[in-house]
Amino acid sequence: MGKSKLQKNRAGNSLLKVGIVWAFLLAALLVMFLVSIAVGSSRIPLSEVLDVFLGKAPETTTAIVRSLRIPRALVAIVVGACLSVSGVLLQAVMKNPLADPGSIGVSAGAGTAAITILLIFPNMTNALPLFAFGGAALACVLIYLMAWSDGVDPVRIILSGVAVNAVLGGYNGFLQLQNSNNLSGVLAFMNGSLSGAIWQDVKIVTIYGSIGLLLAFLCIKNANALQLGDEMAKNLGVRVNLSRIALSAVAAFLAAATVSEVGMIGFVGLVAPHIARMLVGSDYKVLLPTTLLMGSVMVLLADTIGRSIWPGTEIPVGIMMSVFGGPFFLYMLRKRGKFNGN
Amino acid sequence: MEIKASNLQIGYGERVIVDDMSIHICQDKITTIIGPNGSGKSTVLKAITRLIRYQQGSVVLDGRDILSLKPKELSRTIGVLPQLHTAPSDFRVKELVSYGRMPHQKLLSGQRDEDKRIIRWAMEVTGTWDFRNKSIYEISGGESQRVWIATVLAQKPDLLFLDEPTTYLDISHQLETMQLVKKLNRETGIGVVMVLHDLSQALEVSDHIVVIKDGRKYSEGSPEEVITPQMMRDVYNVECDIMHIKGRTKPLIAYKQLA
Repeated sequence: MGKSKLQKNRAGNSLLKVGIVWAFLLAALLVMFLVSIAVGSSRIPLSEVLDVFLGKAPETTTAIVRSLRIPRALVAIVVGACLSVSGVLLQAVMKNPLADPGSIGVSAGAGTAAITILLIFPNMTNALPLFAFGGAALACVLIYLMAWSDGVDPVRIILSGVAVNAVLGGYNGFLQLQNSNNLSGVLAFMNGSLSGAIWQDVKIVTIYGSIGLLLAFLCIKNANALQLGDEMAKNLGVRVNLSRIALSAVAAFLAAATVSEVGMIGFVGLVAPHIARMLVGSDYKVLLPTTLLMGSVMVLLADTIGRSIWPGTEIPVGIMMSVFGGPFFLYMLRKRGKFNGN
Repeated sequence: MEIKASNLQIGYGERVIVDDMSIHICQDKITTIIGPNGSGKSTVLKAITRLIRYQQGSVVLDGRDILSLKPKELSRTIGVLPQLHTAPSDFRVKELVSYGRMPHQKLLSGQRDEDKRIIRWAMEVTGTWDFRNKSIYEISGGESQRVWIATVLAQKPDLLFLDEPTTYLDISHQLETMQLVKKLNRETGIGVVMVLHDLSQALEVSDHIVVIKDGRKYSEGSPEEVITPQMMRDVYNVECDIMHIKGRTKPLIAYKQLA
């Protein structure tokens, strides 16, 4: 009797734990949202930020907040959600916790297409998102063509991704050397920057992002089944290869949506799912929403720090994520030693 | 329910692993596939359950080619426990077993009362309900095997396929697993097809045994018909006597090498 009560409590606890984590993340998101609006080249006191929402702030402040700070914060939130969910889906596809839109070359595909347009066909910059999508999809197809042999092997996908990444990286470098007089836009793109985000950006990234995120939620059951091994998933009636392709396509779509708007931001898709997994476990029903919130908070935090840490200079969010995300990831790897399955 | 596999040829690329294999599987029985390492016995099990493709021949389930069945349809009829399976270390026992209901659920549907009832049934019949809230890495190897069997049972299949269910288990857990298989077959009427290494266990629990040698069927029949000194010599290159002992329904295998 006492034992079964204890077990009941444990199951109840895990639900409670998820609730607490979500509440905490939502609170963190709200606080970061307000802080990111307050911080910038002209600092706005938090009380005044609140006044803006109440319609009581001075006109100039209201203008700055409405037309610059809020859109930027919103773009950061959506981009963080997309990239982290893209990462967590790829991890299910590859059964590999190191998978990330950056590491399998999807972001590089989008980036390469975008850089080509920026440098060689600058008059077509308006169609940049379209070309980035094309690039990401093409990279995806290429990776699958190389990895496919009677099914998709997770190890081969990641190796193909590395190869695709290397080739595209070389091409990007060459293009930049050839066009060294026209690099500022490209550099911002390569390093992932939210600077200059306006409502138009919010609109585009939200439309594509919400389509991608909605599709991601439809992938939850298949992502879960893939965690039990291919044969077990097949036994449960899951079309394993088709699921892999569908999940990768959704992940590529999410990554491309962000790359075309703000450039390449690494490590979000790697670090956010890892922390989420430690907090709530591996069930995608709770892991996916937790990862989404975690990614939003993370990108918003990184961008806010990037804008405020060095007075007078803005450090692109992509650089912030690399500088802090990389070592943090290594630290977690050393400290925890295990993530899932072993 | 019955499965008829006819003239199967199974291989990878140019290499033929199993050739001209015909097997007839009836519900209500325990059918065991035996054979030396590399003889192709797991390959046959995987082909019959559509885990891998076969090049030639056909597998027919109640008059329908299994290739024409939808994956979910097939998984509601047969349940397969592969040799290799993994689960994230934070999964709880009950959570894992609930995955067995996937073939019965729509993409967005959650657990219905029927699902909950069947999950509980699958766990009670396998004796895993008592530790339902433990993490799957807190339980023993034998308990873990029972949990995985419960997962497949939750699919409510007519036929249960087990690929070497006792490998990696110590002898007490092996016997526990075999007892469970026998009990499931007798009490729930589920048909069982398994690949086994241990001939004594195959002899004790099976109604029907298929012997495979070098990718071809060597013989099949009741345990007493199939497990003979001649077969042991031809297939395993082992000398033995088959001994009948008073008070035991099944004979014992006495290996001469160890005498």
